[in-house]
Amino acid sequence: MNERKVYPTYFAAGALFLYVILYVFPGIIGIGYAFTDWSVYSKELHYIGFDNFATVFSSNYNYTRYITNTLTFTVVTTVMKNILGIGLALMLTKRIRFLNFHRAVMYVPSVLSALIVGMIFRSILNPKVGLLNVTLRAVGLDGLTMQWLTDSKIAFRSVMAVDIWKGMGYIMTIFIAGIMSISPMYFEAADIDGANSWQRFRYITLPMLSPTLAVTTVLNVIYGLKVFDMVYALTNGGPGYATEVLYTGVYKEFGLGRYAIGTALSSIMFVFMLVVGYFMIRLLTRNEESLA
Amino acid sequence: MNFLKKTLGVALTLILCFVIAGASAGTTITYMASSDWVMDAEMDLGAKFFEETGITVDYQIVPADQYINLLMTKLNAGECTDIFGSQGGRFDIVTQLNVEKNALPLSGEAWASNVDPLAAAELSVNGVLYGQPIQDVSAVWAVAYNKQIFSDLSLSVPTTYAELKTICQTILDSGITPIYECVSDGWHHVLWFPEMGVALEKAEPGLADKLNRNETTFAQSTAALTLVSQIKEMADLGYWGDNYMANTYADATKNIASGEFAMFVANQGFPSEIHVAYPDFPAENIGYFVIPLLDNQILNMNPVGPSRFVYSGSANADAAKQYLAFIAQPENLQYLVDNVPKYNALPYSGLQNRYSDEIKAFYDAYPVHGTVYQTLVKYLNPQWMEIGKELTAMLQGDETAEQVLANIDRNRADQAKAAGDAYWQ
Repeated sequence: MNERKVYPTYFAAGALFLYVILYVFPGIIGIGYAFTDWSVYSKELHYIGFDNFATVFSSNYNYTRYITNTLTFTVVTTVMKNILGIGLALMLTKRIRFLNFHRAVMYVPSVLSALIVGMIFRSILNPKVGLLNVTLRAVGLDGLTMQWLTDSKIAFRSVMAVDIWKGMGYIMTIFIAGIMSISPMYFEAADIDGANSWQRFRYITLPMLSPTLAVTTVLNVIYGLKVFDMVYALTNGGPGYATEVLYTGVYKEFGLGRYAIGTALSSIMFVFMLVVGYFMIRLLTRNEESLA
Repeated sequence: MNFLKKTLGVALTLILCFVIAGASAGTTITYMASSDWVMDAEMDLGAKFFEETGITVDYQIVPADQYINLLMTKLNAGECTDIFGSQGGRFDIVTQLNVEKNALPLSGEAWASNVDPLAAAELSVNGVLYGQPIQDVSAVWAVAYNKQIFSDLSLSVPTTYAELKTICQTILDSGITPIYECVSDGWHHVLWFPEMGVALEKAEPGLADKLNRNETTFAQSTAALTLVSQIKEMADLGYWGDNYMANTYADATKNIASGEFAMFVANQGFPSEIHVAYPDFPAENIGYFVIPLLDNQILNMNPVGPSRFVYSGSANADAAKQYLAFIAQPENLQYLVDNVPKYNALPYSGLQNRYSDEIKAFYDAYPVHGTVYQTLVKYLNPQWMEIGKELTAMLQGDETAEQVLANIDRNRADQAKAAGDAYWQ
């Protein structure tokens, strides 16, 4: 690389200054508060060491469940959105009738507000009068009817399913762009060599999509770790604590005036996202580094 | 063409100016409340208030299961609405709402002296009034039952928990779901616990005082354990039906009117509510008995309920106070009593109540009165929705009754310690 083409570092100073003041500094203060007894009930602030973190990881509270739920949500929705997104993208890059209509239909849920989707699905998944159970009963599949959002054993799966339904269209469009950017020459060469559909996908499409896959994975992981609105709208963390995730927990702690516990939960998520983000960026820039 | 463009430009500019001028001509005050706290009749009065003063009231109604969290977040973030609704209670308005910081004193308002003294005491700190009662607090949460169903099945009002179970089983055997319960709202099923504080107090005299002095806990109370176990047993035996987790409070009138359910924990405005919504269903067809868990026969009174507060950081405090004064005018309070089906009275002097003979007979049937625990016990009412989650977890089999009580104790202790309560140091 020609060094003369690299812009001087001080060009970034302004942006860096604003970033530090507006993001880094408040973030560090927030982490600092996690080591205090800050709450709405007390005017004084005391340093209490790692007590809040001990509380978060204590078996007397449900916070570890919040963390587990968040990680489960992240992994499951990331994997499923990627698989379904690739599947839909493959189907919708074929020459089919009303192609753009089909693409639009799949994409539309992702532009809807999570709160609206939540309200609609609360109605659809109502065990007694909801569209899903009513339909199942109408076709004689009574055995498949369930308390989708009100049974603690399946409520979280329902929440994840709705989120996957909402988000896979967005991921699909990214994969469509990725597939369209693959040169047709590879497929023509594969056809000449007699490759079947699976071999074309396994040895051409998938490897060529790996940068796109890295991007969608990063997007899904970050979204999954920060999920709030979908859970809030569908179950508000219930029944009981079955679908609570970290950010619904943080929201409730702030609502209850227990700021320090809220910031401790946020800090844990911050550290986790920092570690995940580091490896993600390494993964994303791997090809760039090898090019350099 | 240019002339047309210029004319159009001028016209649009003028329209914009008029719109902006119109929008800024009147004041708008915001009023946030939980669902079911602002009735249609109050909104009618809001329209009348606008006609008289030019002040618009923007009612922001929030689903009940999300309200407390949203309110507390707004208060804690320092950006609440001009008027906010909240439950009263002498302990909670200090420890939870911190009204001395978050609300404006209302003692100097002309209507303040008309508030029922018992209700005013629960909305005051150091003799200063901070809230204005919204609802009828003379009503108690009791079991409303369909008299026709009871008559058809030759059932009489239960006086013990065992009798309640027998009645429920008979009703269930007849193909009717005994009790309508709505867990999805997050608050209604909680009533079975703190409302039965009157029975806990009878079983273990002085329990509330000991709880407030941190000398005992709910987990140490045998009666509390029995109470919570009875709640679960009712659900497990199918007396709440198979859809109680998804049922909503808003559908209660429909489901009782349909005869699909026989009983519902409700206050005494419920018969009128059903009759208004379903005129074929006579209000007299609803009778009442006190919740007989723990064999309770004491009338569970609560001197206060949802109330309006003026936010201390409001930029429209005067307009907000003006609204409260307007609502508190005797003719407007009477309008609310007469037009809100679930109100039989309001806690202000000089109003005509609407108690039916049936309701009077119900109150007369229980001469012994007690106060509910959400008012009597500190740090209980603020965790109402949390108790709802604990009970839900128990109903789902995720927690035991002992865990529910231990978690309620833990949450009380956390709040008490944070508040610097001397009994928890």
